Amino acid sequence: MERLAGTEARLSWRVATITESKPESPHAKTLVLDVPGWPGQRAGQHVDIRLTAEDGYQSERSYSIASAPETPALELTIDRVEDGEVSPYLTEEARPGDQFELRGPVGGYFVWEATSDQPLLLVAGGSGLVPLMAILRQHELVGSGAGTRLLLSARTLEDVLYRQELEALRDRAEAVTVHLTLTRDTPPPEWSGWARRVDRAMLEAVGPGPDARPRVYVCGPTPFVEEAAGLLVEIGYDPRSVHTERFGG
Amino acid sequence: MPPISRGFRGRRQTEVDPSRLPPGQYVTKDFPVLSAGPTPHTPLDEWSLSIAGAVGEGRSWSWDEFMDLPNEVVTVDIHCVTKWSKFDTPWRGVPVDRLLEGTEPWGKYVVAWSDGGYTTNLPLADVTDGKAWVAFEYGGEPLEPEHGGPARLLVPHLYFWKSAKWVRGINLAEQDEPGFWESYGYHNYGDPFKEQRYWSD
Amino acid sequence: MHKDGNAIAGVLEEIFTVEVTAETRTCQSCGQENAIGAHRLFTGAGYVLRCPNCSDVAATIATVPGDYRVTLFGAWSVQPPQ
Repeated sequence: MERLAGTEARLSWRVATITESKPESPHAKTLVLDVPGWPGQRAGQHVDIRLTAEDGYQSERSYSIASAPETPALELTIDRVEDGEVSPYLTEEARPGDQFELRGPVGGYFVWEATSDQPLLLVAGGSGLVPLMAILRQHELVGSGAGTRLLLSARTLEDVLYRQELEALRDRAEAVTVHLTLTRDTPPPEWSGWARRVDRAMLEAVGPGPDARPRVYVCGPTPFVEEAAGLLVEIGYDPRSVHTERFGG
Repeated sequence: MPPISRGFRGRRQTEVDPSRLPPGQYVTKDFPVLSAGPTPHTPLDEWSLSIAGAVGEGRSWSWDEFMDLPNEVVTVDIHCVTKWSKFDTPWRGVPVDRLLEGTEPWGKYVVAWSDGGYTTNLPLADVTDGKAWVAFEYGGEPLEPEHGGPARLLVPHLYFWKSAKWVRGINLAEQDEPGFWESYGYHNYGDPFKEQRYWSD
Repeated sequence: MHKDGNAIAGVLEEIFTVEVTAETRTCQSCGQENAIGAHRLFTGAGYVLRCPNCSDVAATIATVPGDYRVTLFGAWSVQPPQ
């Protein structure tokens, strides 16, 4: 099948060079990348990356884009999977100057349009926060007034990605509320958030409720997404408004 | 030539006996879970294994009856078409020879079928003469559902998609009938040492 | 555990030459309409995309060197490029 003109460049493999590596938590790092010719992305999209070892062995993985579309440099946040093949390399070995191949941006289902004024409900499990952070960052950069609620489930407080940024957002933004639940640790004594797995009561408390007809995004490990999405539909949110992205695992 | 990612090696085992490694494969210490569909969960009291088709009188075993059959421990290398190989994997299973004992099949082909609808086809000659088992233990433990438990077909000399997880029956046929992956571009036979991954190989 | 159609957005775009995860498919078995990105993705020898409602097969994708061998089921609705 002959390729349509103009489509080749967009989805070919490009070379990405790491320019910076920033810790986000004890086992997650954000890689800042230089990708010549990067066409720009929409909030929520991801990239496919491909690593090649010296003997030609290759591995491919996908990572959500953490940076807002308005931010010039592309950022990916990598959560280290224990005994993983690629994430330990990216979080522990890779350094500025290192390169890999990158394809994208991809994804058109799990994206947010900054011009939308529909209320937003964002539900994240662990590193499922990454694409939702891109949405939150864009939301702030464009000065969106869309009422936005984030519910983040993390194992422990130190696992929370972008913790300081989220706390600042919570304090500063009028249109954004941030809710946190910790599922593993005994939370610190002054903890004001929840301390249990996401359940129906928690989602109902976060709101905004089906009548507000929000756009809903749920992202994280597959069991988390299936559970949360099921509860949201039970509560009465329109299933077609609930967008899901499962990370497997 | 793609850029080399400095310092990247993957999680391969690199000190391996090359004569055991088929072309294009890499040895892993993991046991990746690959599947064409969701994991079925048939309760053991509803489980059965059957032999049917071009074999005359079919036969079938309940789980308890299957457990009463003679079985053996085998240690084999396995090779997945997605390029990973795993050496010295320890299984316990009932030889397919034993399941076919006493039958006189006139079909020369076999389709193994599984809970969830998966199928794969093989020549009868490739599941007899000590080449195949229905395995129910891995590493001395009951086979986990994500790896095909309670029982799966084990045919180590062919690519591992032929070792149908959640196997429930072996049907003999006079005609070769491509199974699931074979219908969608994968090789009809699948010999890893001849690198028969795809229909065009 | 399975992922979803989002995980192969890149592969699907190579095949269709347009982004399809936001497009929908009406299942041949249960009749439900769902976004491709919401379909369940299984990775076996190749990829299998399944209806999120009834689990029936929506697509199989075998990655043969230099080629994709694709079989689609159900009614896929895909917008051509503008």
